[in-house]
Amino acid sequence: MVTGAPGSINRRTHPLWFLVPAYGLLLVFFFLPTVFNFVYAFTDWSGFKAEINPVGFENFDQLTSDGTLFRALRITIVYAVLVAVFQNLFGFGLAVLLERDTVVNRIARTFFLIPVLMSALAVGYIFQALFQGSTLLADTTWTIVVVALIHAWKWMGLSMLIYLAGLKTIPLDVTEAAHIDGASRWTAFWKIRVPLLAPAVTFNVATALLGSMNGFDIVQATTGGGPARTTEILNIFIYRTFGQGLFAQATTMSLMLFLLVAVMAFPVIYVLRKREEVL
Amino acid sequence: MKRWIALGAVLSLGLTACSDPSATSTSADSGAVTWADPTAKLDGVKLTIWAAQNSNTVPKAVVDGFQQATGATVEVVTVPDPYEQSVQTKVATGDKPDLAFWQPTASMLTAINARSNLQPLTGAPWLSTVDSALKDITGLLDDTRYAALITSPAVEGVYYNKEVFASASVTETPKSFDDMIKIARDLKAKGVTPFYEMGADRWATQWWVQVQLADAAKAGLWERINTGQAKFTDPDVVKTIATYQSLINEGLFNSDIKTAKFEDQGTALLDGKAAMVVQVNSFFGQLQAKADTASLDSKIGFFPISPGGNIGTFIPDQSNALVAFKTGDAKREAAARQLLAYWMGPGYRSFVTDRNTVSLQPAVASPAGVPKALLDVHASLPSAVGSMQALAVANPDLYINLADMIAGTMTPEQVAKATQDQFEQLAKAAGYLK
Repeated sequence: MVTGAPGSINRRTHPLWFLVPAYGLLLVFFFLPTVFNFVYAFTDWSGFKAEINPVGFENFDQLTSDGTLFRALRITIVYAVLVAVFQNLFGFGLAVLLERDTVVNRIARTFFLIPVLMSALAVGYIFQALFQGSTLLADTTWTIVVVALIHAWKWMGLSMLIYLAGLKTIPLDVTEAAHIDGASRWTAFWKIRVPLLAPAVTFNVATALLGSMNGFDIVQATTGGGPARTTEILNIFIYRTFGQGLFAQATTMSLMLFLLVAVMAFPVIYVLRKREEVL
Repeated sequence: MKRWIALGAVLSLGLTACSDPSATSTSADSGAVTWADPTAKLDGVKLTIWAAQNSNTVPKAVVDGFQQATGATVEVVTVPDPYEQSVQTKVATGDKPDLAFWQPTASMLTAINARSNLQPLTGAPWLSTVDSALKDITGLLDDTRYAALITSPAVEGVYYNKEVFASASVTETPKSFDDMIKIARDLKAKGVTPFYEMGADRWATQWWVQVQLADAAKAGLWERINTGQAKFTDPDVVKTIATYQSLINEGLFNSDIKTAKFEDQGTALLDGKAAMVVQVNSFFGQLQAKADTASLDSKIGFFPISPGGNIGTFIPDQSNALVAFKTGDAKREAAARQLLAYWMGPGYRSFVTDRNTVSLQPAVASPAGVPKALLDVHASLPSAVGSMQALAVANPDLYINLADMIAGTMTPEQVAKATQDQFEQLAKAAGYLK
């Protein structure tokens, strides 16, 4: 064995600069846009004139001075939490229901996966058409719940798949041992199998929560932010602002969204990861 | 250390490469704009026109004629809705057509940065043939012409069901806003829904405020708002919003105002479920899709309204006008101007016939099949006043705030404040209201 820290790989089969194209792409398509997201937020970039001048914190001042940004942020968080809860409840329920590999279950799983593959805009427009004439998308209090349910309906197949995979990896001998120890099926399920699903929960909750923070398509297609802007999540607000030619303000908002997602992501993933440590 | 310097160099290179691509050097408008003969040969020249989903068939007859006469190739590209937003985004990223349909108002010309992106149409050869009352009604920004008006601009006014009026023995159309409200109350007493509004689709809500401001607009309201001497939060503007709300609360509107859509509005007026709708020309377009000219002529009428009388409020839209872009290719820029000159010159008669629309040129008669209501709309133009869209330097989302008021989440004062705040933000970004 060659020297080196334990676990480190010392096989030098390829020169390191082979990584340059990959890092180049990463830099241009991921790192630079993020940097610009920060840079443009401090300028007066707009559709009205050609020059771009730095303006310091003016955009932030303006956004925080009227309540629109905070309302949009609040709606975004409510929406994301609702989606995370619904999507995981539905996905988990379906996974438990369709766990056994019977023919019927296999077919049913396929059907529940179809919405995942559908275009989000198509889903939105279909539900908008279905609810036409009813008051489901017109109530200023409950519409956000309805839209979150639609979002969760579209993505529950994916959560189901991940929970299924989680359930399948639980070794049979563990549950068997529980049964021999006298645990009922109910107890075995809640005390043994559910805790062992922790990694699947981490992934599902994190992706549903953080994914729906960046939501746009389904809300835009079903309500466009209405009624009375009660479903105007941040991305719709950003889209409207950008459309008015206020590019810098829109960039500032998307920076706020980026920060919000980051601020929420770390504690959420940390807490969920903590649960996994007992495994 | 060296590596970090290199990384820094790459980054700053990237930064410069990504500066605003639409920032073409503002080539000094050299004053003199040349206009070629409309039918001069243009073999091998390829022009692109951007159009919206509701305007992409408008240029067909003109384009066919122009291609035959000049040998140029013209492609009409449909830009998806929301059109204005999509075009602004494309232009912001450096993508430009030769010509595009565009709302020829000050606020929208500002929004597309006309001064650096558009060709001035100074001295356009067709201007002398256009009805003198309509020639300078729109298309100008700071006294420079950037847009060619091709069809009669839309007017905010009242479309009414003649049969409903007749059966309620209303024989004369109202002579003022208050007169109209009086008729509305009579109609309500007779069990008729006087007005129909679309709270869910939102955008028509602003007409109610704007028609009430028509007289003030005549007296220079929008110039005062543009310069900060007046505000949306001033009592006279807030009063129009409050009046709108009180009329809704009084029950003069359809009971499903919160959930009603544009489509419902047209159906309601045609079926006589409501007597009046305050709307613009595109609403009549919807009626035309639902009924033939003969039944529209017998059923639907139009009158302009304002507090003091029958002053209409005009609001040119995207399908009414075209702009020519500065593409940097002198040959194509000249060809784009030539196409406009052809459109408004030798091609105009076949254009209005093909579109069955009102002619802007006294020498070219409007086709016989134009519905009566549209002729009435056109007739109201010479005395009409510009809308917020036409005269204000920025176009805030008044309609969204009003729809929120209808939904019950905003008061008239809050509507005015939100609108004023947004107006200031937009106007400042556009270099006004320093």
